[in-house]
Amino acid sequence: MLHKSPAQRVALAVFGLVLAGFFLFPTYWMFTTALKTPAQILSPAYDLIPTTATLKNFVNAITKPDFTTFLTNSLIVTLGAVACALAAGLLAAVPLARLRFRGRKGFILLVLIAQLAPLEALFVPMYLIMRDADLLNSLWGLLLVYVAFTLPFTVWTLRGFVKGIPLELEEAAMVDGCGRWGVFTRVTLPLLGPGLVATSVFSFITAWNEFLYALVFMREKDKQTLPVWLSSFKTAFGTDWGGIMAASVIYAIPALIFFLLVQRKLVSGSTAGAVKG
Amino acid sequence: MTSTVDTARSAGTPPPAARPGARRRARRPLSETALPYLMLAPAVLIMLALLAWPALQVLAISLRKLDLGELVRGEVKWVGFDNYTAILTDPEFWVIGLRTVLFTAAVVLTTLLLGLGIAVLMRHLSGWVRGVLQVCLVLAWATPIIATTTVFQWIFDQQYGILNKTLVLIGFDSFKGYSWFTSGTSTLAVIGLLVIWQAVPFIAFTLYAGLVNTPRDLYEAAAIDGASGWAAFRAVSWPSVRPLLTLVTFLSVLWDFKVFTQVWAIRQGGPDGESTTLPVLLYLRGIAASHFGVSAAVAVLMLVVLVAVTWRYMRLLVRSPETEL
Repeated sequence: MLHKSPAQRVALAVFGLVLAGFFLFPTYWMFTTALKTPAQILSPAYDLIPTTATLKNFVNAITKPDFTTFLTNSLIVTLGAVACALAAGLLAAVPLARLRFRGRKGFILLVLIAQLAPLEALFVPMYLIMRDADLLNSLWGLLLVYVAFTLPFTVWTLRGFVKGIPLELEEAAMVDGCGRWGVFTRVTLPLLGPGLVATSVFSFITAWNEFLYALVFMREKDKQTLPVWLSSFKTAFGTDWGGIMAASVIYAIPALIFFLLVQRKLVSGSTAGAVKG
Repeated sequence: MTSTVDTARSAGTPPPAARPGARRRARRPLSETALPYLMLAPAVLIMLALLAWPALQVLAISLRKLDLGELVRGEVKWVGFDNYTAILTDPEFWVIGLRTVLFTAAVVLTTLLLGLGIAVLMRHLSGWVRGVLQVCLVLAWATPIIATTTVFQWIFDQQYGILNKTLVLIGFDSFKGYSWFTSGTSTLAVIGLLVIWQAVPFIAFTLYAGLVNTPRDLYEAAAIDGASGWAAFRAVSWPSVRPLLTLVTFLSVLWDFKVFTQVWAIRQGGPDGESTTLPVLLYLRGIAASHFGVSAAVAVLMLVVLVAVTWRYMRLLVRSPETEL
């Protein structure tokens, strides 16, 4: 961007594209493998660029029994967890950023330490809690677990974003006769847009990806989620690579849509929260 | 459920810190005083019930003999520090621990260097190349872990993997049918590459956002003063990225030290346990072998390591004027 010779520009562009290729390749390979026939996949020929394409793998994956059930379960649990984590997180982030009260530091410390815990380690007590609360095999139970997993990060990041909003803006609105609620909905909330988006991406990815708790807490088949479904493609008889790649593409699509919807706001948003850590 | 929450509350809530000066603004109606606590309540309840309480239980379990039998019978058998003694006198634990620390260090360092490099590069790229790079990064970031892990297994496949095919094509015939998973080191290298590939986009975007927000006239001033590219970076970019870099380092250490899904999915810690890391050990001892007490001890030791490594940063964070405000 700053003064450069044409040669430098070209060199930079080439370098940038090579890096882009490196990051694109696995996704590209997943997609093209999904389009291949079993014979093509297991042929020794060099096939970086696919010559023929079939949608059979996708059709097979989608028409597998229970696919829609798993998809619906995953969407309910993930989107539900994102919404709850954002609501509870925002509610906590505002006083943490704006008000002074006793125990505030203690709470911040709790949030920080909560992020250190290895979640695989909480497994047994979590299982007992869910069992005693009769939440095993319940989508609500899984949703609650995912809210807990993402909440510390959500509170921490959102607090930074709230702090990033100049206090003067809120005070100006107050002077103009806005009530506290009015200030929040008309000034704070719109400015928090990017922050909410950036934070929701994190919760979405965490919940959408979670495998271990989903596998063990959801014993009934009609309550299971997509990560569990994906693992069902690997059997003792070997791996159906075309099938599992097609399933992976399908599994990635909702995450991708979510990302593309929010991507624009992400870049402008991610600093505000982060800087104020 | 209610009783659970109550116990967790009394056990887990840190004592409210008495701060001088907190009284200064204290003349407020009761509803005002209660407001922050009401707003914090949902988050506090969820975190105490589903994080703090289980964490305390893990601490308690690490002092108990808890295998499947005890779990089913609901038996409580205290054994003091036996689990810790068992783990700490196991030479395997030290090997795995050291391996985990080295793996984390290597992955974090590579991720940060690559992320920072890409962030700087993005500022210097022309419009469409930057767009292409960003889209590719977002794709890498958005592809779910399990899907990515599967693709990596397929790329590195012994017989039909595209990597071996490519290596043979460009003349390295010895890679025909080469297995990348015969030694722990190369298995961990593949896992590391996978983790780095997924982690770099977040780091790059965060640092890029920090760089973009650096006022442009600072660069112009540096240029007028005759600063070269590197000097300008050190004088202008570095100060504005540094706090962000510290933050993403902290997060990367946390995340990479605890990586489980990828390590487990690639080779279950094999061959011969050579790519086993602490989270895998925790899973093997706990969920797979049902020695929950021993597994809990591993978890507590992991937490001790993490706190020791990040202690300085956490103290800094809690003491900074940011939090004091």
